[in-house]
Amino acid sequence: MPHIWPIGGGKGGTGKSFFTGNIGILLAKQGFKTLLIDADLGGPNLHTIVGLSNPAISLSDFLNKKVSTLQETILEMPVHNLFLISGAKNKLDIANLAHEQKMKTLRAISRLAYDYILLDLGTGTSFNTIDFFTLSDSGIFVCIPEPTSIENIYRLVRSVYVRKIRQVLKAERFRSLAEKAEAQNEDIIIHHPEYLLDILKEMDPEEGSNIERILKAFHFKLVLNQVRRQDNPKIGALICRIVEKHLGMRIQFLGNVSFDDRVHEAVCRRESFVEKYSYSQAALDLRLVLKGVTGILDEQAVAL
Amino acid sequence: MKKIDALNFYELLEVASDASPFEVHHAYKEMFQLYHEDSLASYSFFSREEREEILAKLNEAYSILMDEKKRSQYDQLLIERGVLDEERQYQRERKKLSLLPQPKRPGADTALRIRDRLKTMVSSNAVIQEILSHEALSGGDLKKIRDELGVSLEEIAETVKVRMVYLRAIEEDRFEKTPSRIFLKGFVRAYAQYIGLDADMVASRYLKRMDN
Repeated sequence: MPHIWPIGGGKGGTGKSFFTGNIGILLAKQGFKTLLIDADLGGPNLHTIVGLSNPAISLSDFLNKKVSTLQETILEMPVHNLFLISGAKNKLDIANLAHEQKMKTLRAISRLAYDYILLDLGTGTSFNTIDFFTLSDSGIFVCIPEPTSIENIYRLVRSVYVRKIRQVLKAERFRSLAEKAEAQNEDIIIHHPEYLLDILKEMDPEEGSNIERILKAFHFKLVLNQVRRQDNPKIGALICRIVEKHLGMRIQFLGNVSFDDRVHEAVCRRESFVEKYSYSQAALDLRLVLKGVTGILDEQAVAL
Repeated sequence: MKKIDALNFYELLEVASDASPFEVHHAYKEMFQLYHEDSLASYSFFSREEREEILAKLNEAYSILMDEKKRSQYDQLLIERGVLDEERQYQRERKKLSLLPQPKRPGADTALRIRDRLKTMVSSNAVIQEILSHEALSGGDLKKIRDELGVSLEEIAETVKVRMVYLRAIEEDRFEKTPSRIFLKGFVRAYAQYIGLDADMVASRYLKRMDN
């Protein structure tokens, strides 16, 4: 079974593709067979981050049945052990995937034989993004220390929370739960999904504790990107504390990645940052973050 | 997970029920960072009313747990409700008073003991007594005394905080290497005092010889 890391962040420009691409390169260099998937269906650009300007084949060729298996869309990258499923040639309306297609893609992804599969997710909280996020328990949020980004992170976390309950309950039962909840408070679902669980537990204690267990299985991670010297370095840990305290979901802070002007330069030149500036603070931070994630995975494996 | 309003003050501040006021204070400061109005970390997570409610509760918790009397009343309440174990209550430790003098810092203590030991060695050593009977003392004389006592120059430099170059210059009578007269006098005094000699007497005899 591959480790699947969905990487999202709600807001655009926080550095999801940058993070995905560079962590992918680091993993590949450590000898892990690593696949990057550009699941940002509406605005793909992961290929540019890893230095490929014109991918010959992409995810849409699989969705449009031009090729019959997902494997055929995989591109080999110049970095040894690194592979990519690009989203570059997606049709413009592809951001709205039909449920059927999405499920097919998700199933195909989890069957691929790789050590690590990194999913670069789109912005926003559309069902597409959320469903990719719930594909694995180890989603990574990429956030920057700005209110707009933090706002979106909370929205995304809450969306994942509600979506998971919905997935387990199925549409009809979820609707009756939602109606009951909304009768108490109009915007309870958006602002207080945690109360859904309480209401559900009252309605059906067994189902309630089942879902509570599923929600607890999530082991999210948070990375704070573009941290400048004047920013409070503790913000990331504080965000995690809020989520754990008030939503009861596990989320672990992986660390800060320093802001670096040379990221802009590397992207403009279409060169990979960690390779070109491997001794910069930001590259060092990325390596530490990666060490953190793989360390957590080892711990989990021991615990199992 | 319990909702905020179901938490008792200890749970709210995430401290143990026997936490000291110091710990309570720090826990409050940390919590305040999470919830205050301009907190970036919880931006948009709470509505204004929720935030105010949480902050009010935090402040209440702080004012009660920091007040010894109010806190013990609150603890009593929790004990009656069966939430708090009586033994897990915070007990203010009173400072123990003693009639015996408290021992000094170990560092100062050892330095004093070393000097006492060296002093007795000085008074019972015939070679040293012979040197000290002279009217003037040279650097070489000081070195001889030091060697008799078995004290290293490093040890003196370390303790009296005078650089080795100067100590060596003093012993070798290389006055061009020593600093101004007033400093030199101070260094010789410190040197002499450390090895258990009469500092004033040694310094004046050393300087007298230098002047000649």
